[in-house]
Amino acid sequence: MACKNEYSILIHKYLDEEMTLLEKKKLENHIIKCKDCEGHMRELRKTVAIVQSASHIEAPINFTESVMNKLPKETNTNRWKTRLRKHPILLTAAVFFLVFVMSISSIWNDSTKEIVVKGDGHFIVDEERRVVIIPEGETISGDIIVRNGNIEIEGEVLGDITIINGEIIKSDISNGENYLASAGHVAGEIHEINQVFDWLWYRVKAFFSDVINFIN
Amino acid sequence: MDAVVKKIIKEVKKGDQQAFSELVELYKDKVYQVAYRMLGNSHEAQDIAQEAFLRAYTNLDSYDVNRKFSTWLFRIATNLAIDRIRKKKPDFHLEDHVAGTEDLNYYSQIATEEELPEEQVVKFEMQEWVQKEIMMLPPKYRSAIILKYMEDLSLKEISEILKLPVATVKTRIHRGREALRKRLRDS
Ligand SMILES: [Zn+2]
Repeated sequence: MACKNEYSILIHKYLDEEMTLLEKKKLENHIIKCKDCEGHMRELRKTVAIVQSASHIEAPINFTESVMNKLPKETNTNRWKTRLRKHPILLTAAVFFLVFVMSISSIWNDSTKEIVVKGDGHFIVDEERRVVIIPEGETISGDIIVRNGNIEIEGEVLGDITIINGEIIKSDISNGENYLASAGHVAGEIHEINQVFDWLWYRVKAFFSDVINFIN
Repeated sequence: MDAVVKKIIKEVKKGDQQAFSELVELYKDKVYQVAYRMLGNSHEAQDIAQEAFLRAYTNLDSYDVNRKFSTWLFRIATNLAIDRIRKKKPDFHLEDHVAGTEDLNYYSQIATEEELPEEQVVKFEMQEWVQKEIMMLPPKYRSAIILKYMEDLSLKEISEILKLPVATVKTRIHRGREALRKRLRDS
């Protein structure tokens, strides 16, 4: 055991992979003769191998999520600055969107609750039920726009149908058939604006408050 | 990797909080492992690992981008873990070491019930042994051994994480290795 200290240092150097060739040779020559040092080295190598073999531990699921939830809240200004920087086109799109929506909303706002129908052909306006009826045998030759009311189609529409703040309702005589089932009645496309409009309006309000915060 | 990390950090510094989640994803396992190996139970490990990321986020401006991000992050995590160990020192004794392995015991029990292949059981036992013995090491040897053999870091990196001269790190690893060897021989 007299040799222990000197060779112990060499053994650790060996494990740290910091040996010169000369030192390596020296240790190898010694280990052949000295059982103590050979055992010491074998045990240390085994220890290292066992510690290294301890398989890697993974962070619990949702770890990232819970870290993110604990971060200090981002200010609206920061969030917008980031988004606009990341997507410059967003600014243009947002401005365009704003103009677009404002023009829609001005149309919307100056309208009263009166039923307004624009179309070329014969139709009936049922004020009480707030329904515009295209009677059987009648044809609307172009597009029809109905605002603040529903539409019931028993006849034919050759163009598009646009309904603002209303919907297509089933005709009484359709025998439970969906209006789409009798698609022959409508040649063009059908647009129901109210839901879309609600959504737009919601987005615009949110956008306005963000823009105001951003400008401030 | 470094370029990616730099880019993410830049985004976060500009105010893109969401980009930080990418950093968490990249390093969560490593940071969690350091915390778990230092503290010996998953509850505290999660606590400390999360805290490390929160500190990294709030102090990101003080991070020197010319240095390795992982070194900085490991330093935060290791310091937090050592602080936690110091705080609970009054009831931390060598006799309590088994408490530190309760999670692994728990898992290995489940594993045994499900009759895993023998090889896997041996692996669990080895894991348990390693964690138990690491918990017996004084924290200063513990951190050096964990960083060296579980995180596979160089002596230089460890010296930067622990803010110690390389020679001191070496001494700690040597002593840690010797302590573990003696316990392995006696077990
Ligand atoms: Zn010898």
